[in-house]
Amino acid sequence: MQTINKNKKGWSIRDVIFLAIIGIFFGIIYQLWSYAYYAIAATPLKAYANDATLGVWIMAGPLAGILLQKVGATVIGELLAAAVEMLLFSSWGASTLISGFIQGIGNELGFAATGYKNWGKLGLLLSTIGSTIITFIWDLFQSGYSSYNFGMLISLFIIRFISIGFFAGVLVYWTKSLLDKTGLIK
Amino acid sequence: MKLKPLNPAILFLIMLGIGLQTTFVKSVWLNCIVSLLSILYIIIFRRVKLKTIFIVILVTLPLAFGSWWSFMLFGTTDKWHIAWIYGTRVYAYLLIGSALTLTVSVKQLLFNLAGHLKLSETFVFGLLAAFNLLPRVRQQFKRIQYSAQMRGITYRPWQPGLYLRIIIIALNWSGDLAEAMTSQGFSEGYQRTALQTQRLPKWQWGLTILLLLLYTYCGFILKPW
Amino acid sequence: MTTTLTVKNLTFAYTDNQPPVLENINFKLALNTFNLLVGPSGCGKSTFFKLLAGLYPEYGGKITAGDILLNDVSVNNIVPFERAKYLAMLFQNPSRQFAMRTVEEQITFALENIQLDRSKIKQRVAWVLSELHLENFTKRELLTLSGGEQQRVALATILALDSQIILLDEPFANVDPVARKQLLHDLKKLQLKHHKTIFITDHDFSNYTGLVDNLYKIENKQLTKGSTKILDKIIFSKQTQQNFGSLHNLTWNNLSLSIHDKILLQPNTLYLPKGQVGLLSGANGVGKSTFFGALTHQTTYEGDIFYQQKLSTKYKRKAWAQIIGLVFQNSTDQFVRLTIAEELNLSKKHSLHPEYWTDSRINDAYQLLNLTNLSKQHIVYQLSGGQQRKLQVLSMLIMAQPVLLLDEPLASLDSTSLNNVLQLIIEVTQALQLSTLIISHQLVEVRPQIDYELEITDKTLHLRRTTNET
Repeated sequence: MQTINKNKKGWSIRDVIFLAIIGIFFGIIYQLWSYAYYAIAATPLKAYANDATLGVWIMAGPLAGILLQKVGATVIGELLAAAVEMLLFSSWGASTLISGFIQGIGNELGFAATGYKNWGKLGLLLSTIGSTIITFIWDLFQSGYSSYNFGMLISLFIIRFISIGFFAGVLVYWTKSLLDKTGLIK
Repeated sequence: MKLKPLNPAILFLIMLGIGLQTTFVKSVWLNCIVSLLSILYIIIFRRVKLKTIFIVILVTLPLAFGSWWSFMLFGTTDKWHIAWIYGTRVYAYLLIGSALTLTVSVKQLLFNLAGHLKLSETFVFGLLAAFNLLPRVRQQFKRIQYSAQMRGITYRPWQPGLYLRIIIIALNWSGDLAEAMTSQGFSEGYQRTALQTQRLPKWQWGLTILLLLLYTYCGFILKPW
Repeated sequence: MTTTLTVKNLTFAYTDNQPPVLENINFKLALNTFNLLVGPSGCGKSTFFKLLAGLYPEYGGKITAGDILLNDVSVNNIVPFERAKYLAMLFQNPSRQFAMRTVEEQITFALENIQLDRSKIKQRVAWVLSELHLENFTKRELLTLSGGEQQRVALATILALDSQIILLDEPFANVDPVARKQLLHDLKKLQLKHHKTIFITDHDFSNYTGLVDNLYKIENKQLTKGSTKILDKIIFSKQTQQNFGSLHNLTWNNLSLSIHDKILLQPNTLYLPKGQVGLLSGANGVGKSTFFGALTHQTTYEGDIFYQQKLSTKYKRKAWAQIIGLVFQNSTDQFVRLTIAEELNLSKKHSLHPEYWTDSRINDAYQLLNLTNLSKQHIVYQLSGGQQRKLQVLSMLIMAQPVLLLDEPLASLDSTSLNNVLQLIIEVTQALQLSTLIISHQLVEVRPQIDYELEITDKTLHLRRTTNET
């Protein structure tokens, strides 16, 4: 009988389903938030709405990273959440996946900077800084931020960092601390 | 002659290739052309009612308008042009995305990505299995909220307690599903019977390359208004 | 092809620092037989099955001694697609065992796993569906099927894999009695006609008479062989004295329930009496939990629900949650805090009857439930099933919503605990004049102690008639 090769260290079916289910929950939370976002996004304050809520959108990535603690988990986690969003909740397609990828890369860079050794405060801090910078650069092109004046850019950047720092940093850290206490994940 | 839809994997590549470039292309004309071609494709090959397409377009209007207005108000140079670029870009993104999501089923897309673009089957079946739980996840979300409200508190999206509950559910359910699939013989990283995918004739690869190059040429060399 | 499944000196624990769940088990599964494994919930039946199926320790826990051999190879070392040809498992939760959306896709998925030729897949799917009389279900979406139908599809999947040994872990938990009988009949047929080996865990002994070749028990971490005679024993449970009170706050008018266009409950008009504890009975899968779901606005319903003559939909969500308390079937759905102390303090802080729930009363209750040997800083997720159940009930009793619904609050409790929990529920209900309704399968213990019994039969909800039956 064919026996398993115990050395393989890829993504298990359980990891994929686990992150996809979390992604579906996030999809539901986004739906609840989207009304608020939508109300502001229909006005000239759209850029502010984007930046203030961005943190919630990218939580899935760092959460996946610190839950699974392996190389690529952050990008793939964020991509999975984006795929769920694209396939189940919205028809935005390309842009959801592309921005998911960009956001995931930003966060992943932070963990990579620690050599994938620190999944705690430092890793998360670097991860939030990474994604704030990367996504901001991206938006200079994608959302035309380069046409805004310098003062507005500064304020947008700060708002973005606060949003990402709180949701994708502090909140993820708190959640992980709670989870550690439950003893459900080794 | 009956028109045949593009292979979902090809459609996916075109969507990504154009979507990625759109981020850097500054052209109202190209945005409009992409949008129109997408609408046409959707109408011909749609899996949804015409009304749905109409609603999708309508619901996005305020967002496009928000983008447009924002640049009229805060833009520094060339306001009119910039405002129209970003207003129409919202639609270009939406419609090229919809050209995939409104014409192809999730299963077909994932199967073809696995069959033609080497997406791992662990991801294909992991995603499909999780998607089946959507109605249960919605119900569970209500249950989580009710459990808190009964005790006099309300979970907010900025509270870690909410995410803890979600993670615990995801842990349990993913374990159940993965165990069942394993028991049904699913083996990660091993050969399975080749998936049933749609045909992918060579000319579609040619078309993809042609379309993407054409878009690059127009967007970065011709640069129409 | 002969298959052997042998367990040798097996000891298994979930974590290193916890005592083992199963200890030094020796067992050999006799081929082509029909076997039943019984034991109280939480005794390790599921664990044992998952070990036999090779799912543990891959999906949890640790084998600290011994081994399980499938044809002389450690079962957990065999590649799943290879293993599936010899043994496969059917799970307790019908809806969480499918990868695909439709019946046909699901069975095809399993056949692709074992690398069956594409040209043979269609035939094989058609064959198993006809074998289990599921021809009309080919294109049906799995999520729209009833629990019983879903389990038939799961069985069809296993039959398609042609697994020699079929393990079924509490397969009837969400299956109505008619479907249960039919499934048991089909399983017997699989054993006799297709020479399958059937192994089932169940806590309900009904309908097994004449089917079972071997009966096993798990007691005190040990597996022992028992006599199938216990399956013939008929347990008489007392009738409930129907004493349905007239004072009430919660009423419903023409309430009806349906799932995926199938009617579960015909329009019904009734109320829950105050200061009384009632039992909601009826077979598995008839819609008892769905009824609770409707009353708590978790699931959709037709008709009207009123509290103090005011329409339920006129209440805000949060206000409604303060009127109808629900003890969930799954304990971990209840917990909103991490430790025992935090759970109890939260309930105490927001209790609707703080005058009643003084510290000394809470302590008395805590003692009655035999939780005092636990540190109050104990993490709720690390409690045993029975302890979780008791904490869950206590925290909702302290909240003391005027209407209290309890979905299987007595499952996985030993008999002392069961009586204490029931006693506490009755005491609080009477003292605070709550309207309490319990779903429970522990009829023998519950019936003598409660005020009235509602029953769902034939899609109607009614006060149980006092006919003599077992």
